[in-house]
Amino acid sequence: MFRALVIAPGLLAAMVLGFFAFGTSRPKADLTYVNPSGIHTLDPARMSWTQDFRVALNIWEGLTTSDSPTTEPVAGAAEFPPSVSADGLSWTFTIRSDARWSNGDPVTAMDFLRGWRRGMEPGTATDYVFLFADHIAGADEYIRWRQHGVAVLTALSRAAAGWKLSPEQAEALAHDETLPEIRAALHGADADAPGEQIAKALHDSDLDWSAFHSRHFELHASELETRFSAVGIRALDARTLEVRLKEPCPYLLDLTAFPSFLPCHESIERLRQRFRGAPITGQGLVVYDPQWTKPDYHQNDYPGLITNGPYRLAAWDFKRRARLEVNPFYRDAAATTCRTVDMLVYENLSAALMAYEAGEVDFLPAMDVPYDHEIARLAQSGQRPDFKLCHVLATYFFNFNCASPTVNGRANPFVDARVRRAFALAVDKDALVEHVLRRGDRVAHSLVPPHSIAGYEPPPGLGYDVDRARALLAEAGYPGGAGLPPVELLYVPADERVCQAVARMWERDLGVRIERRALESRTFAEEKANQRFMIARGNWYADYYDPTTFLDCYANGNGNNDSAFSNPEYDALLDRAAHLRDPVKRMRALADAEALLVEEELPLLPILHYAQPIAVQPWVHGIEPNPRLRFFFRHVTVHR
Amino acid sequence: MLRRLLAGAATVACVYALTFVMVVALPGNPFQQGQRKLAPEVVEALRARYSMDNTWLYFWQYLSGALHLDFGPTFMYPDWTCNEIIAQALPVSATLGLLAVIIAVQVGVPLGVWSAVRRHGWPDAMTTALVLLGISIPTFVTGSMLLIIFGVYLKIAPVGGWGTLAHLPLPAITLALPFIAYIARLTRVGMLDVLASDYIRTAVAKGCTPRTVIWDHALRAALLPVLSYLGPATAQAMTGSFVVEKVFGVPGLGQHFVNAALNRDTGLILATVLVFSTLLVLLNLLIDLLYARLDPRIKEAV
Repeated sequence: MFRALVIAPGLLAAMVLGFFAFGTSRPKADLTYVNPSGIHTLDPARMSWTQDFRVALNIWEGLTTSDSPTTEPVAGAAEFPPSVSADGLSWTFTIRSDARWSNGDPVTAMDFLRGWRRGMEPGTATDYVFLFADHIAGADEYIRWRQHGVAVLTALSRAAAGWKLSPEQAEALAHDETLPEIRAALHGADADAPGEQIAKALHDSDLDWSAFHSRHFELHASELETRFSAVGIRALDARTLEVRLKEPCPYLLDLTAFPSFLPCHESIERLRQRFRGAPITGQGLVVYDPQWTKPDYHQNDYPGLITNGPYRLAAWDFKRRARLEVNPFYRDAAATTCRTVDMLVYENLSAALMAYEAGEVDFLPAMDVPYDHEIARLAQSGQRPDFKLCHVLATYFFNFNCASPTVNGRANPFVDARVRRAFALAVDKDALVEHVLRRGDRVAHSLVPPHSIAGYEPPPGLGYDVDRARALLAEAGYPGGAGLPPVELLYVPADERVCQAVARMWERDLGVRIERRALESRTFAEEKANQRFMIARGNWYADYYDPTTFLDCYANGNGNNDSAFSNPEYDALLDRAAHLRDPVKRMRALADAEALLVEEELPLLPILHYAQPIAVQPWVHGIEPNPRLRFFFRHVTVHR
Repeated sequence: MLRRLLAGAATVACVYALTFVMVVALPGNPFQQGQRKLAPEVVEALRARYSMDNTWLYFWQYLSGALHLDFGPTFMYPDWTCNEIIAQALPVSATLGLLAVIIAVQVGVPLGVWSAVRRHGWPDAMTTALVLLGISIPTFVTGSMLLIIFGVYLKIAPVGGWGTLAHLPLPAITLALPFIAYIARLTRVGMLDVLASDYIRTAVAKGCTPRTVIWDHALRAALLPVLSYLGPATAQAMTGSFVVEKVFGVPGLGQHFVNAALNRDTGLILATVLVFSTLLVLLNLLIDLLYARLDPRIKEAV
């Protein structure tokens, strides 16, 4: 009876569910690799994870692409090299005549214009909007105008919906020169009063918020095209793209290979039509149907994702697998021997490594396992030639809070550069790298990894000198650590070993008390972004081959300046470098700036430059270690 | 029945409200996907777009969407909607969970009966030891051991992943082990109680064979505590086990639930909690119906 009631229907249900759970099974791909956490997004304008870049750069192609394995820029969808004006400000790219989308359509200059514009729009919420703002003429102004418009429209839409304005919003609206009606609505109330008072005055006003929002919205929407026409990107004809820069940019061809600068097929516009809020929402955000990146998404004649790279996306199951197949219209399609690639998801890299050892996986681009030191040893000793170490263009460091005089109710001694320098001098990085981590990382004394960028040699930085550290601390008013409040060190659990060791060094050598606080990553990010820390771990992966990808992070007002470091001399050196045409002088100016950063001011304490182990089966050829962890599958051959 | 359904709906509503309170109290920006900071204007606009700048409005809008089976967008994986994620992950977890529960019942019940019938004998000692091991060894240990033995050394099962029937047995067995242990223990206790009761003595006195006494007369009553346990256990198994899914690379709902919380993916947290609580309520209801079938005394109550 029990069997009849529970087990038989249960088995039947399991069989039916199993049918849905497994879906269509596909034959094994030529190459199988693991992406531990799966793809976050395939929208090039939004992406910021290395593993997403890896898929994107295999299914799309920018004006340039990266060489394998050097990752230097080489010819992509445009003829190479592009023509450059004498002042280095105007670049003209000619799209190759044989550049094709995966449905056979020719790739046009408009496609790049569309893709780049998406990367600048606040609605796509891109992490990399700064790449456009910093380099393309007029882009910064356009982005600022759009962001300001979004802020105003957001506040007005809230008021129009009958909700109270927040004090910050009210204050911002009252001081906005483009909104004289707001001042009028205050009826003589003090526009410089605190936000709460302004919000109340505005709330009590007889302003018709709904009409006001509509009017402002229409105005903003009607100006969109005019404003964008001032941005230095123009499609002169179907095959010619002209790019005007703010300043000469020696690494522009590296940038044009970056995902934010990828093109976008015109079919995406078909999804705009069906999406509520087109072309922009009441808050001023440009929206697209977010499902446009699916290969099997069909709405309004949308044919599913179309890309222009060596591969096309054939299937994508969430957090399970993605299947890439050769794009038949790609110029080298016939010569590509690796016809299909499967990307599998293994959240647990130990299981991924077991699958690799069992021969089920051909390539592991990451091996963050608890025993990674053993893997690094096997790779370095040559005992496992299939394990290789990638010396990554990235740095792990600690940020000191340079701005806030108090943190969580305590005085912050790190506003004094001498204290920061003392703490930096008291860390034995060699011991950390060789005895604590043992992963093959390289000790860092600079922010930019040495010998990584052609023509640039970073300053030597500070070594390990406990006596000097103690003297500096005494000079700052804390002899032997006396008088120093307990120092809070913020990190994520993955950094436990490093932080424990460093805290011990500081306590032992400087006589200070360190309070370690391991926080879950989102909370950590929130605390760090709001400068609620004294010392916090940080890291940076380079986006392009130039020291500015690292150094810009410490410019005043930069969104990634977690230390809130501000030094006019440093900013001036970066600014000077941006104007220098002579590459040698430019690099020297940048090295001077970095010297100020890592030898004098120390808003950060460089610890190490990452080494990342990868595993490639002996039957796979064409996957080599590289500093940006970029792997291009069309260069791969598999001989099982 | 109607009253039970209404009570179930009220339970799900309470779970939603409680989860919602916790979700809005969580620190961290749900729109932050990468490491780089988003412009504050953009974050504000996105919050306004999804009505997250007004807690009540957001509460009702999300609830109204959920009642229409639209769980909204996910912020960490912007290319997907919560509905798509659940539609892909729930059948995976449900298949795995259902199979695990079936294995657990098929193995746990006979084990418990055997142990009770041979009380104080070596089968009892062995079962007790097995139960202890099943409960105390964490699934990541048993899962990893099974992977190493059957996947890496014997090569008779794939090392994790999902896509064919061959991917099913190892995670299903791993997931089933603790359930087997609990079910065996509950069955044993239930059997011992029942075997000491008068009607069993009567059945024996009437000359029923031991087999009939145990499997037809005693087991029906002894299974009642097991059935009570099976409701939440099935819901738990069917909505995914984060650890088993992680160890075996199974794309189930459990890992999405945990990751959603870690990522502050508000929509996905609420969606997974709603799915889990609804399943729990429905399965408990189903178990109550079965209970009534097995024990007529409580039919009226149901």
